[in-house]
Amino acid sequence: MPVRFLRNASEIADVSWETPLPVQVANAKPVPADTLLVATTTVDTTANRDLLGSTSTELPTLDGCMQYRKLVWFYFRASADATNYRVLARATDHNGAPLGTGWQEIVPATTLPGGANTHNRIDIPASSDGYYDQYRIEVQRTAGSNYNLISKIVGVR
Amino acid sequence: MTPKVCLVLQNFASFNRAWTQILRNLGIDYTLCVATSFTTSASIQTPQGAFAAGSADLRNYFRQFDAVILCDNTSSLSATAMVNYSVYWLSWNAPEDPAFLFFNPHFSAAITDSGYNSNFPSDFPIVRPNPSDLAGTLYAADGGSASSSSPLGVPNIGGRGACVLFLAENTRAHVITICNSHTNNIPYYWRLDTAKHSTLASTTYTHRVARNGRAGEILAVPAPPTSSEDTETYPNDCVIAYRYRNIFWLPHAMVRSARSVNLWDSAVDSFLFWLLYGLQVAGVRPRYKLPVQMETDHPLEATVPGAPFNHSIVTQMSILEASWIWMRDFARRKNTAIVNGLVVGTKYRRLNWFYHWHLLYSSSRTPTERDAAMRVHQILLAGHREGTTPCGVHDHTFGVGNGYWSSAVASSFVRHDGMRYGAPNDVPIGRGRCCVAPHVLPAGVAGADAQTVQVGDTELVEWDFTERTSGTSNTFDLPLDSIHAARIIIESEIEEMLALGFPDGYCAGHKYTNTAANNSGGECYWQALKAFGFRGVRSAPECNASYRTKRVTPNRYWNGFHLVPPMGLDNVGDSYSWGLYYPGAPANRDAVGSYQLDHSGDISANWTTQPVAAWRAYRRVLCQLTGNWLFLTAISLGGAYFHPIACLMVAAPSRVLDRFDGWNILNAANQPHYNHAVELLENMDAVVRLLPDVLYWGTITDVMDHRERVMGD
Repeated sequence: MPVRFLRNASEIADVSWETPLPVQVANAKPVPADTLLVATTTVDTTANRDLLGSTSTELPTLDGCMQYRKLVWFYFRASADATNYRVLARATDHNGAPLGTGWQEIVPATTLPGGANTHNRIDIPASSDGYYDQYRIEVQRTAGSNYNLISKIVGVR
Repeated sequence: MTPKVCLVLQNFASFNRAWTQILRNLGIDYTLCVATSFTTSASIQTPQGAFAAGSADLRNYFRQFDAVILCDNTSSLSATAMVNYSVYWLSWNAPEDPAFLFFNPHFSAAITDSGYNSNFPSDFPIVRPNPSDLAGTLYAADGGSASSSSPLGVPNIGGRGACVLFLAENTRAHVITICNSHTNNIPYYWRLDTAKHSTLASTTYTHRVARNGRAGEILAVPAPPTSSEDTETYPNDCVIAYRYRNIFWLPHAMVRSARSVNLWDSAVDSFLFWLLYGLQVAGVRPRYKLPVQMETDHPLEATVPGAPFNHSIVTQMSILEASWIWMRDFARRKNTAIVNGLVVGTKYRRLNWFYHWHLLYSSSRTPTERDAAMRVHQILLAGHREGTTPCGVHDHTFGVGNGYWSSAVASSFVRHDGMRYGAPNDVPIGRGRCCVAPHVLPAGVAGADAQTVQVGDTELVEWDFTERTSGTSNTFDLPLDSIHAARIIIESEIEEMLALGFPDGYCAGHKYTNTAANNSGGECYWQALKAFGFRGVRSAPECNASYRTKRVTPNRYWNGFHLVPPMGLDNVGDSYSWGLYYPGAPANRDAVGSYQLDHSGDISANWTTQPVAAWRAYRRVLCQLTGNWLFLTAISLGGAYFHPIACLMVAAPSRVLDRFDGWNILNAANQPHYNHAVELLENMDAVVRLLPDVLYWGTITDVMDHRERVMGD
């Protein structure tokens, strides 16, 4: 005999893994932001290198991000050597499959702000909302020497 | 009692985040304190204020902790300062003072800081290294050869180590070990001042960490050789780890680098045995122990007979059989489970004779060969049912052979018969052309073929599968990018497991499997696996290589489904191992080459002329792989694995389970016999026995339980 409960005010549902009993958690606070990534990237002159070091152009840096209105990219750069960053994004279908190959370039190649040994922040997207499923964030040094870029990306719901 | 330690560092730009990750995984609270400089005049910035390094205020502050850990180290003994501020703490030896853990401490004679030299305890029994007199103050270790770069910073390759004898525990274990190193890139062990040690060892001392009630205690030394072939010996005054009152002088534990550690790929730190050991001997009792477990991929498989061993199929099977009997018994004795990714799909798709199904049933194999394979299979089957060798699906047979979603389309995919998604059932093989959420779907719009699909939090009604169904055939081109494809594939895999005699395809109660090529696919596969009863799978961060359109979710935990990080522990980098080392072996076909352990050529140049080279190779391989395995266990909380067929053919067929004995036991290629499964598991067992408060033999279920326990921390 399955255990059933009233779901969505009008629907009787069996208790299952997918439809657990609704509970109220005491003292719980909503968490509006999640840490999505912490990474140290060696910034070099390679084109299409993302924060996780990949140069596979179809590979997202972050996947499964639909729930996030915005990504906040915090970073600490060890050098002021000229660097460009680029942000790509796209949606997937409900299976997780990209709707097509390629990306929407939401930030074209742009100078990465900040001097040597400075903390910085970039909002993605800079205005409006995100809700993309996949993001690819690339960095490329255009002058100087290789250096470490330490990033943290927070997803804001 | 809440375990709590204090980490002291000088600069976050060189602070390795592995320090804190491992403490979080152990449930040990920590506080970070920053030294304002490397010198004795430094202040230590604490949450309660900045205190002078030698002040009573700092000493009182430290007394709330179980241990104080120094994080900074250097690869140059010529440096004049690194942790000079800590010299005062060497004299804070009252019972109320915490334990101090110094890893690869810089106490070189090159330090010119008069505050350091005048406060350094006169009775300290380890000779201070002198860069101008290395041979007179240190012992060159691990053959004394130079690494190609600083040996302190190597990740999962290039390790240096020893078989270490832990005196109080009377236990030998191979662990990556460097006490100090220098700009010559040679690892060193310490030289003991035996007169000072003798005095300390006879001096009564009271502190909770002084197990023997004495002021000085040798904790670990290089283990004496077990064979006359092994001429790599150390003098009696060589020491690896020492307790001076409440101060622990320990080898290197963590590279000083701003390495990130998170649920993505992280640079491996293979030295952290010594951190775990330091916590153990300092009496820091973690809230949680960490489960240790091993996995294998392709537990029953054969390889084409050929160089260098030329084993027949029957001989290959006999090596596997003996090894599996031993591994099953090991799992039973240690209360662990060796979970196995069993190659499936070959009943229907890839028909290569060397895969599991065909070894058992193909008429191209002789009855003797099939019988030999069946004996291995029955061990796995029995072990699955009793919980020692549970098996799950592991499918290389579609796409480009790399598992779930590893290509856009699986051409000429062959499915199973019957069940829900097998032939002749006409089922969707791609998403419907129209997919609408049910709560916004107008009545009467959906087609007659509509069905509701849920992937994660998204529930959609799909319809219009024109040209996107299987038809009644068992062979068709299958796009791999939908939950429909995932269901067909996984059901066919489970059907094969049932046909092989297994009651399930997900490692029994663990509800887990090792995915082929560590590809877990993406959301649609995770959802389908959940629906078939899986709780988690092993997954690389790029989860559908070589197609490469997907990554695992940021926290590796998708709607209650685990995506467990992998780490390979094969003794070979590619294909099948030719041994620990093999002169002239193809690239990455022996362990030394694969893990870059031939430092300054001290193995390859001496292999045929000096028997010690084989022992050196043996030591380094075990040290490196144990270190990598510990990193996965303590940092990544993942699944380590090896391929038995790729690793075990190095064993001597007539003495499969014998322990390594250099050139005294030869394998079929007249090279030193070595059984990777026996050696690796026994060495890790020694480590587990050394660290009873930190590690235990567990299962993949324990790993997933622990991931859930600490992921919110």
